[in-house]
Amino acid sequence: MGAIGVIVRRELGQYFASPLAYVIGAAFLILTGVQFNNDLTLSITVRPVNPALIPDFLSIILVLLAPLLTMRLLAEESREGTIELLLTAPISDTSIVIGKFLGAWIYYTFLLLLTLPYQIILINVASPDLAHTMAAHLGIWLYGGACLAVGLMFSAMTENQIVAAFLSTITLLTLYMGESVGQIVANVDLAAFLFNLVLRGHYAPSFAVGVVRAEDIVYFAGMIVIMLYIAIRLLESRRWR
Amino acid sequence: MTQVSPPESGLVMIEVKQLVKRYGPVTALDHISFEAKPGEIVGLLGANGAGKTTTMRILTGFMPPTEGTARIAGFDVLTDSMEVRRRVGYLPERVPVYPDMTVEGYVLFWANLRGLKNAKQRVHSVLQRFDLMDRRYKLVRSLSKGLRQRLGLAQALVHDPAVVILDEPTIGIDAQQVIEVRNTVRSLREAHTVLFSSHILTEVEQVCDRVVILHQGRVVASGSTDILSKQMKPGTHLYVALQGKKKNEIRKLLEKLDGVTGVREHEAGFVLSSDANTDLRATLSEMIAAQRLTLLEMRPMETTLEDIFLNLVGKK
Repeated sequence: MGAIGVIVRRELGQYFASPLAYVIGAAFLILTGVQFNNDLTLSITVRPVNPALIPDFLSIILVLLAPLLTMRLLAEESREGTIELLLTAPISDTSIVIGKFLGAWIYYTFLLLLTLPYQIILINVASPDLAHTMAAHLGIWLYGGACLAVGLMFSAMTENQIVAAFLSTITLLTLYMGESVGQIVANVDLAAFLFNLVLRGHYAPSFAVGVVRAEDIVYFAGMIVIMLYIAIRLLESRRWR
Repeated sequence: MTQVSPPESGLVMIEVKQLVKRYGPVTALDHISFEAKPGEIVGLLGANGAGKTTTMRILTGFMPPTEGTARIAGFDVLTDSMEVRRRVGYLPERVPVYPDMTVEGYVLFWANLRGLKNAKQRVHSVLQRFDLMDRRYKLVRSLSKGLRQRLGLAQALVHDPAVVILDEPTIGIDAQQVIEVRNTVRSLREAHTVLFSSHILTEVEQVCDRVVILHQGRVVASGSTDILSKQMKPGTHLYVALQGKKKNEIRKLLEKLDGVTGVREHEAGFVLSSDANTDLRATLSEMIAAQRLTLLEMRPMETTLEDIFLNLVGKK
């Protein structure tokens, strides 16, 4: 097992060993459950079910959820001093960061899988557009990966978890609704440009309506790569301070 | 991943040459040099802030030197960092633990991270060595400080490294555990080269073959520990507080006494220095009686590390 695998396993162990993971899981199910129940009720009389219901909801709460899941990743290692052992073990900084990131992303995938029963219920009581549902879930999976990468980057920056969570929430919030600046300046080109920069611009018009576009996949993948690259550099910089 | 090869005989395991480390305007290490041969236990002795931890962090590859070179088993810490890290077992001063892991899980994590082939077996053998086998399913958070120290040692030795670097391993644990840790360090001599830091003089004397004394980032003395104990123990010190004459008159009288090699003011009285085999008390009390002085206080003073530093730095 490579170093990345060892770190992923340790991170997953940490998520599932801590009560926080279960609290987050429970809160996640309650919140999505309420959403799902409301939508199902509406679908009986008012309108058809929304196949992208859970992903749409997640696209908002990830702004808060991703920092919660990632704030500890590297900040805690710095605070507890275990970073000193990690950085003096014969493994690269890249494998530390990638291992941490994959650990968080796999846990997030687990949370996403928890909503699977909703889809099963839906298939039994309605006839949802499954392709639409799957596209939306793929989108929110990548979207989540990008949010977690942002959180990990801030966790590499400080040894204070609260600061890490705060900075990543602010950043994600800006990335989520930054395009609203475009509405103020009343310039169509600028608004379109900003919309293409923010997270929602690569989810709402495409994945959310069941469209899978290469540019959106590249956007999220690119964001993950850039954030992890910065995190690796930040980790390396500890050696030079 | 490559297994750690046994140290070649005759090779210098730790080689530090003209090492300098600056943190901005602060110079933490100022051109220090020393080396350690296979099977040697070298002590880094110094007060807090002397540069012990900085030296160790450079040797483990945690931070780079500003100038100079450091090599482990012939590999440069900067250019061959991975080779160095494979050969070093490191226990930082504050034992870094993951409180949510079990004792076994914790050591196994580091063994796997280092890519050991028979990881489980190695882990069990170090746990047995440090008497942690019974506690292997306990959570690390429940361990006492002394047990954590043992866990840290198990972590540092799980890959059977050629060089073991221990940063003040006896700090903050009780007397019995201190003895255990010292015995453990001594037992490493056969198979490992050990760099051991401490601010306790007697501990370094007991444990190490050679000692490097650091003071404010400089090597003020180095050599075998016997030399240290002969040269550096500057005789005995006696504190006296006298009344009846002016301070400088008393000082002159004390300086004139047979066997006194030095007088310095300390608290309300003076500290008299003499050779180790001279007892000043008899001559002193005769003088006090003859001069009709009042003796307020007289007590022997411990030779502290600080005295030794003052002594050494004074000589330089």
